[in-house]
Amino acid sequence: MTQAPGQPPRRRFDRGGPLGADPTEGNGNRPAAITQLQFVRNLGRALESGLELPDAVERAALTLPRSARRLADAAAHRLRGENYEDEWGFDEDFVELVYAFFEFMYERWWRVEATGVENVPAHGRAMLVANHAGVLPWDATMMRVAILKQHPLPRYPRFMVLDWAFRLPWVSSFMRRVGGVVASPFNAMRLLEQDHLVMVFPEGVKGAGKPFSERYRLQRLGRGGFVEVALRTSSPIVPVAVVGSEEIYPKIGDSKLLARLIGSPYFPITPTFPALGLLGTVPLPSKWRIEFCPPIDVSGYGPEAAEDRSLVFELTELVRDTIQEKLYENLVKRGSAFI
Amino acid sequence: MGRRVLITGVSGYWGTELARRLERSGEFEYIGGLDVRPPGADLERTEFIRADIRNPLISKLIPQTGVDTVVHSDILLAPEPGKSVKQLHDINVIGSLQLLAACEKTSTVRTIVVRGSAAIYGAEPNAPSFFTESMARRFPLRTRFQRDIGELENYFETFSRRFPEVTVTMLRYQPSLGPRIDSPLTRYLRSPAVPVQLGFDPLLQFIHADDAVAALEATLLRPLPGAVNVAGEGSVSLSKLLRMAGKLPLPVLPPLFAPTLRAGRRFGLAEMPPETVPWLRYGLTVDCRRLIEEVGYRPRPTLETVRDFIEKVRSHRVLPGVGGMNGSAEDSERPEPRDEKAETR
Repeated sequence: MTQAPGQPPRRRFDRGGPLGADPTEGNGNRPAAITQLQFVRNLGRALESGLELPDAVERAALTLPRSARRLADAAAHRLRGENYEDEWGFDEDFVELVYAFFEFMYERWWRVEATGVENVPAHGRAMLVANHAGVLPWDATMMRVAILKQHPLPRYPRFMVLDWAFRLPWVSSFMRRVGGVVASPFNAMRLLEQDHLVMVFPEGVKGAGKPFSERYRLQRLGRGGFVEVALRTSSPIVPVAVVGSEEIYPKIGDSKLLARLIGSPYFPITPTFPALGLLGTVPLPSKWRIEFCPPIDVSGYGPEAAEDRSLVFELTELVRDTIQEKLYENLVKRGSAFI
Repeated sequence: MGRRVLITGVSGYWGTELARRLERSGEFEYIGGLDVRPPGADLERTEFIRADIRNPLISKLIPQTGVDTVVHSDILLAPEPGKSVKQLHDINVIGSLQLLAACEKTSTVRTIVVRGSAAIYGAEPNAPSFFTESMARRFPLRTRFQRDIGELENYFETFSRRFPEVTVTMLRYQPSLGPRIDSPLTRYLRSPAVPVQLGFDPLLQFIHADDAVAALEATLLRPLPGAVNVAGEGSVSLSKLLRMAGKLPLPVLPPLFAPTLRAGRRFGLAEMPPETVPWLRYGLTVDCRRLIEEVGYRPRPTLETVRDFIEKVRSHRVLPGVGGMNGSAEDSERPEPRDEKAETR
């Protein structure tokens, strides 16, 4: 509790995202390609004149429209090592850099429709519990975008990532920068004690690695460890149902041999992966719905209740049933999966 | 009533600094220093005892001093070039055993403080982000040094069980940074191009060299049973650290990282102990609440430590030498390999 204050200084997001999708902004109707070309040319000149890279980026960005300049400034900031990182390695500037891409996935690719976002507490600790699917934590990312875009008081949630991801090059540092931490009850406790919003996916590997034929059938929620953590830290539990994530990588097979070779818990075979190589990791554009359910308050039980097995099971089942029910409901509401 | 303290490894950086601090504090009426060579800096009222900690003779010497407090600082936290793993093992493990045997014979001893290492936790991809003191040995001890530290901790644990009247504090240090510290880590950070593992950006944690000694002193004044993590709060990613320092990262494929470090020695890069490879891939951060709340000492946060280190090193840059420690006590005389004190994992 006495650790660094829980919430990092929050930066307000424009509703348009950092790239400012609005092309009429700044020095307006000049085609984007010309501006970009000029940026590159200026960058070259600045470097030739003996400026260090961070300064050069800043200089060259002067001719860019305002929105893009902010992005360039953030990049220059990073190059100097001035970017803000909290003790978990969460990097706000980095999130802002990649936010535009996530927003594109949210709005155009998956056309996410989020409901009940206001059920996420605006301040203080809370645990979001969701179904898990897809090999990469896209679901966590989209839940985050939903909260940032639609919550009246946006905040950055943190999420638990299967430790296997932290063995992978690039994936590990990317996850860390956008707010992922190793899925461990100790991490969840510490984050909650610091009054963070924490997303957990108690289905774990079993959820992420389930075959396409079992989609939206919620697996066992571990051993209810997440409930224990919630009880211990008196954090409200917000069940979340994510529909759409289970179609992005339709797993039709599993290669035990390849999994063992690369040391992963499973090796998914989808219609496009690994047949198309890296291209196969592009998720399918299914249609998504995310529903945030009303929070379940567990503070009344007290921290000692975490030892009470039957209570833990009861709460686990309650959360599981809530999510499963909402999954079916939203599946019906969504209609066809892709169009 | 003044206390009587014995510092092992008094001629190393840590030992000397601690002795100097204790001389000033006035809490201790007697300060004894054990080492094989006299301290480089002049200490006023520290009585120097010339003895090798690996020699059973210390069981005769220590009881004569009548100390109530023993600070075990004669622990090498990093293998040095030109020093065999066996020597390291001898000093760390056999030395500790001899010291404990001597403490058994010294009926006045009430407090033992050990300068251990956080390397016992291990840098692992599936580790919790912040190790608390109770999380040691969750992962196998993979390197020789880790096993040595594990063994050493075992001995002290057994000792405290056998002699409940003695408070044994095991300080688990994160690597320390300071302009006067010469360790593989500081040499690594000083090299012009710093090899890193492609695609990995670990979170690291450090302790300021001054705070490291001050924490030792604070523990002496308020000893606690069990382990205490010593580190600056927060963390810093390697990439950020290098950018702050204005260093060029040299990305190397992870499997080639260890060979690169070995080959790089010829080009003036630092020799790194084997545990650096996982450490610079997955990082290692610990929880420091026990130090702050129970010992009552709050060191500078990691980020501030790093900033201070970079600034100081920059202002010293005019001086020549890659590993040149600018005339610190360590550098001026290095007669036998036994005397080199390195300060990191």
